[in-house]
Amino acid sequence: MTTSTPAPASTPVLSSTPVLEAVDLVRRFGPVTAVDHVSLRIEPGQTFGLLGPNGAGKTTTISMICGLLSPDGGSVHVAGVPMAQEPLAAKRRLGLVPQDLAVYPEISARQNLTFFGRLQGLHGAELRTRVGEVLELVGLSDRAKEPSKKFSGGMKRRLNIGIGLLHHPDLLVLDEPTVGVDPQSRNAILESVEALAGQGMAVLYTTHYMEEAQRLCDRVAIVDDGRVQAEGTQDELIELTGGVDTIVLSGGGDVAAAEVSLRGIPVVQKVARDGNHLRLVVQNAPTAVAGVVRTVSDAGMNLSDVVIQRPDLESVFLHLTGKALRD
Amino acid sequence: MRTLLVLVARDLRQHVSDRSVLLFGLLIPFALSYVFNLAFSGLDDPQLGEVAVVVSAPTGDPAADAVVGTLGALADQGIPVTVLEAGPGEVADLVASGEADLGVTVPEGFGAAVAAGEGARVELAQGADTGLAADVVSGIVTATVQRLDADAATVAGAAGAGLDEAALGALAADLAAAAPQVEWAERTVAGEQLGLAGGIVAGQAGMFLFFTVGFAVLALLTEREWGTLPRLRTMPIPAWQIPFAKAVVGLILGTVSTSVLLASGQLLFDGVDFGWWPAVLVLVVATVAAATSVIALVVRYARTAEQASLLMSVIAISLGVTGGTFFRVPTDGLVGTLLQVNPVAALVRGLGITAGGGGIPDLAPVLLTLLAFTLVILVLARLVPGRKDAL
Ligand SMILES: Nc1ncnc2c1ncn2[C@@H]1O[C@H](COP(=O)(O)OP(=O)(O)O)[C@@H](O)[C@H]1O
Ligand SMILES: [Mg+2]
Repeated sequence: MTTSTPAPASTPVLSSTPVLEAVDLVRRFGPVTAVDHVSLRIEPGQTFGLLGPNGAGKTTTISMICGLLSPDGGSVHVAGVPMAQEPLAAKRRLGLVPQDLAVYPEISARQNLTFFGRLQGLHGAELRTRVGEVLELVGLSDRAKEPSKKFSGGMKRRLNIGIGLLHHPDLLVLDEPTVGVDPQSRNAILESVEALAGQGMAVLYTTHYMEEAQRLCDRVAIVDDGRVQAEGTQDELIELTGGVDTIVLSGGGDVAAAEVSLRGIPVVQKVARDGNHLRLVVQNAPTAVAGVVRTVSDAGMNLSDVVIQRPDLESVFLHLTGKALRD
Repeated sequence: MRTLLVLVARDLRQHVSDRSVLLFGLLIPFALSYVFNLAFSGLDDPQLGEVAVVVSAPTGDPAADAVVGTLGALADQGIPVTVLEAGPGEVADLVASGEADLGVTVPEGFGAAVAAGEGARVELAQGADTGLAADVVSGIVTATVQRLDADAATVAGAAGAGLDEAALGALAADLAAAAPQVEWAERTVAGEQLGLAGGIVAGQAGMFLFFTVGFAVLALLTEREWGTLPRLRTMPIPAWQIPFAKAVVGLILGTVSTSVLLASGQLLFDGVDFGWWPAVLVLVVATVAAATSVIALVVRYARTAEQASLLMSVIAISLGVTGGTFFRVPTDGLVGTLLQVNPVAALVRGLGITAGGGGIPDLAPVLLTLLAFTLVILVLARLVPGRKDAL
């Protein structure tokens, strides 16, 4: 696909205009405040992750961003266009890939794309070309004529994504696109998101999989209980944990003596023993590891394995909320 | 506007390739019309549908004689009626035991009551499983009594007082020698000028119309289950177009299927002629609009597509039953007036008018009834606190 083709009816966007500016979004369902003063800003070309466990309020946030739900408070601008005042113009700049499949089962992939393309205002040769390009991109060109109900789960997901891309949106919003998908399709989906991001499309990606956010996203907002707990680049978020690393040592010999010796060296902040494994918390694992290995060897432990665990978004989530990301 | 057409076109294509629309919109109602028509045609066939009527009537009462006389005249019209005389207390037993299909009890003082303008009352008892011929006969008796009552009231009104014996006698004699009774039979069964077969086709078309329109409008709920409804709502189209497109599809499918049904009924059944087709079409469109509003209300209430189809079937059948799809319903009195508001009944009544040579101006009361019905239901649909995300 080519990103040089402008979206239909799009007007030039100043480079300083964020593709998404959501300010103080609030949404309540009865007594539940599903989204509690959430603000997000996404710059052109950015891949932005919304990472949080089930029920954190990701889908509700996205529904307000895409004009499906009206917020109880706050505002949404898409490429500078206010969703509340100019919903049609704002929606034209957005492509949503909903969490649940949203395709017509009785008609083919091509017919699905053509139908939604027409609703997006595409027609004639332009529509045909775009449908062809998208089928190629999501890898469904050779099955384009089959009714989509005959597709595997992964193929349906890819068609679902394709529909969101048709009109070259300024912002592509994907809501947990890999849930319930086999590992192969999952990888194909992640690759196509990477490809789109590589071409300069801004992406808002929600997930409860830490690895996906880590792999795809330039910036991540960690959400829980309807609130943004922290937001930044991955490095910035990891800074929040204090930047401590974990070293896990495994092996035989005198593990108990090794534990005692480790407590004597200053770079080791904590030591925990679990059978033949020692788990150490250190300030900076790459520089500390040499001294650690020498110390335990001198104490009579025969090392069979050394693993360094750097903090990841999972540790950030744990640090911020005291909960594991996945239950 | 362009996007509305895109929405409508996709739905139409879906319904055209969906066998249940063809089945419920055309095949089933046509097959039922055919079957009911066979059953009804027994009325003209002396081998079928012998009706035994047991009558108890006071002697020496000319008004009572007129009622009984009506029954005797039926045989001449090809309806095989056997009349048994009995005492007032025996009628109910004979009907209950099945010896008679129909019991008619004309009370003592019947003529005097009619003459005094107190209203003519005759008790009718109909056995279980007595068939349509018995329905027709009971309708004729009712019509005779009503006519007697109405005529008496007219004459009495003109005279400014009660009728005397002689005047009542003259009226009753008129009635006994009245025009062919079978014409009454048709009028009673199908309403207005529709023949028996025409009435059957009209009633079936009116009821099944609700299913056809239902398929179109309830597609909204199917789309909710497919997830395509929220996706449509993220498209750059005005929000109202999504439900409105379903209503347009309902109007198109309903109008086409009803018109095809009526036309094939007219072509294939003897003696069916609905009259001037432009007027018929206007009537059909008005009825379809009323049906569409009902289904829109169902969509507001129902949570799932299954629940909605169930609700729709219940409504379609109730309106069919009370609208005359399966058997004759009263057209007079409070109940009769209420039933006339039923779109199925309105369609049957309107087709009676067009069949009798009526044009669009003659349809005005029926069309206004349908319009009022549609508006009231649409207002209700807006007021009902339905699902927030439904429309
Ligand atoms: N339509 C709704 N009605 C009532 N509660 C809802 C509705 N949608 C979401 N919620 C509630 O709002 C919270 C956030 O839900 P959601 O946005 O779906 O979370 P996520 O997408 O992060 O899993 C949950 O507690 C959920 O139960
Ligand atoms: Mg969700």
